[in-house]
Amino acid sequence: MQKLKEEKKINFINAQNTSIIIFFIGLYGLCARRNIIKTIIALGIMSGGVILFFLSINRTPGSMPPIFIGEVPVPADPLPQALVITAIVVGISVTAVALIMFIAMYHKYGTTNWVKAMKHRMERDKE
Amino acid sequence: MILYSFIIIPLAAGILIYLVPKRQMIRFAFLLQLGLLGLSAYNFIMIRLEGPREMVLGGFEIIAGISLRCDTLSGALLILTAFIFTMCYIFGLMDRLMSNLFIFLFLVLQALVTTIFLSRDLFNIYVVTEVSTIIVAVLIMFKKDSRSIYDGMLYLITNIAAMTFFLFGTAFIYKSFGTLDIDMIEAKMHAVANPKALILPFSLIMTGVCLKCAFVPLFSWLPKAHATPSAPSIVSVILSGLYVKCGIYMFIRMREMFMPAIAIDEVFLYIGIATGIAGFVMAMAQKDIKLILAYHTISQMGLILMGISYGNQFSYYGGVLHLFNHAIFKSLLFFFAGIIISKYKTRDITKIRGVFKRMPYVSVMAFAAMLGITGAPLFNGSVSKYFIESGLEGSIVEYEFILISAGTIISFIKFSQIFPGNGSEGKIRVDRWKKAAVTIMGFMCIAMGLGGTIIIGAVFNYEVSINAAGYARNAAIFLISLAGGYFLYTKYLKKTRFIREGISIELGVNEIGICIAGFFAFITAAAYLIK
Repeated sequence: MQKLKEEKKINFINAQNTSIIIFFIGLYGLCARRNIIKTIIALGIMSGGVILFFLSINRTPGSMPPIFIGEVPVPADPLPQALVITAIVVGISVTAVALIMFIAMYHKYGTTNWVKAMKHRMERDKE
Repeated sequence: MILYSFIIIPLAAGILIYLVPKRQMIRFAFLLQLGLLGLSAYNFIMIRLEGPREMVLGGFEIIAGISLRCDTLSGALLILTAFIFTMCYIFGLMDRLMSNLFIFLFLVLQALVTTIFLSRDLFNIYVVTEVSTIIVAVLIMFKKDSRSIYDGMLYLITNIAAMTFFLFGTAFIYKSFGTLDIDMIEAKMHAVANPKALILPFSLIMTGVCLKCAFVPLFSWLPKAHATPSAPSIVSVILSGLYVKCGIYMFIRMREMFMPAIAIDEVFLYIGIATGIAGFVMAMAQKDIKLILAYHTISQMGLILMGISYGNQFSYYGGVLHLFNHAIFKSLLFFFAGIIISKYKTRDITKIRGVFKRMPYVSVMAFAAMLGITGAPLFNGSVSKYFIESGLEGSIVEYEFILISAGTIISFIKFSQIFPGNGSEGKIRVDRWKKAAVTIMGFMCIAMGLGGTIIIGAVFNYEVSINAAGYARNAAIFLISLAGGYFLYTKYLKKTRFIREGISIELGVNEIGICIAGFFAFITAAAYLIK
């Protein structure tokens, strides 16, 4: 009985559930952190969760890479990996752009806090 | 190859223009736009004659290759894209703003928008939308003004968060269906035994798409992005006239894709009503000319959503037609706002006076757009509103629809306070290219009003006709709302603090994040309960 419970626990901690949890941790960071850099990190965490999910789906146990000549017993699905590479590249470029924008914003406002940045912006609206 | 040329030609031309630092390149870009406009018209005619066109790069099967598919709706949107971009080049032909870098960004954005309309692969749509988000953020902060940097940053962060939701939903879809092609997924959707398994991908994808469309409560990034003070008016035109339509287009496709398994149209109907009402209420409270127009974009998005999700054929056609009409009149209004801002050097409508005396010609054209957006008879808005309303007739939703229309009218009565005045400072010269762009748009407002049924016939291959009695009824409703709205505004609303001083609800990134999470939870719960 104890063993069955342990097994169930281990089955619950699989890549798919982990990726969902990571995704929502990222979302929490987006909702709760006022630091701009932390927001950008939170976005990175969210896309990290999605990448883990992509890597873990459609895996057949005992499958081989589909680059054999001749008969392949069970070919692995290559598409998720191809998608993941693109998703990583897109994620990196987006993070880079966001950080560059943050640097420009820091030069103008001198703060890393969203609330203070918004205040600065509103003050300039009134001028 | 014709579908690929829509994407490759702007990209190649953009790089060429960026590499050749000559001022005359804008003429080249303009001629290229005219060519693309002709090509998209030719493409549309061919699709009408031969049926939808499909192409796969490299000659693979659809499941393996990068495929583009063009039906009449995407074909019509391609024409719209080429048309709006052409108008922007005409408008900015003499502007110093149109530097080679700017044209490069513009052409790349055009290629990306076209790809969104043509691509049928969920992952490609994600990548293209993400890249276009970056380009739009750069365009928003093109002048590096201290306010626009905040606005661009807010836009970038919120939209990327939304597209991450979309990507996560795509991953779930791939896990369930093993393909990313929208048509194939739709075909397999009928065979899903347990639709509850699709609720999570549905709500993830819909959260992403609804933020792009700026529905309640995910709209607070839109006014900032579309009306940021220093952004050139051409950028506002592209964003409000065209780019937000990518969101609606994605919504239409995703709704169709999930239709066999999950349909929660009634929820989206109420979201549409809330969006429409929130848009015009916020618009009434603004004094900034561009912000008013940006909030009206939200309101009109609500109307389009109501038309699409009511579940009646005619209101669906009306909703899609309103998408085209909105692109035309909103672009014209932003052109007008751009001219006013550059000449008066202020954006506050309480300080702008005598526009009609000082720029009579441009004002007449702006009237055409205002009559279009308020749904005056014979102008383009009236036809699409007629079709939406003919579907809604008899239900309680119709009254909400009339309320939103009346609210739009009241808001534009407030807007029109810039026209009267003696104009003693003398006439303002507007350069002829700007006049030409405004004129073409103004006449389009009337032409699409007279030929609205032809557009529906061409796009949906379905003959519709306007019932004279129903149209007269709508015209009567318009006149009553106009009179009532004028009375209400001058006698009562004008003096309220709400209209005079305005309100501003500012949501930061954290609050928008909470809205996204809340919206996601709401859609999930709704899909779960309704199923």
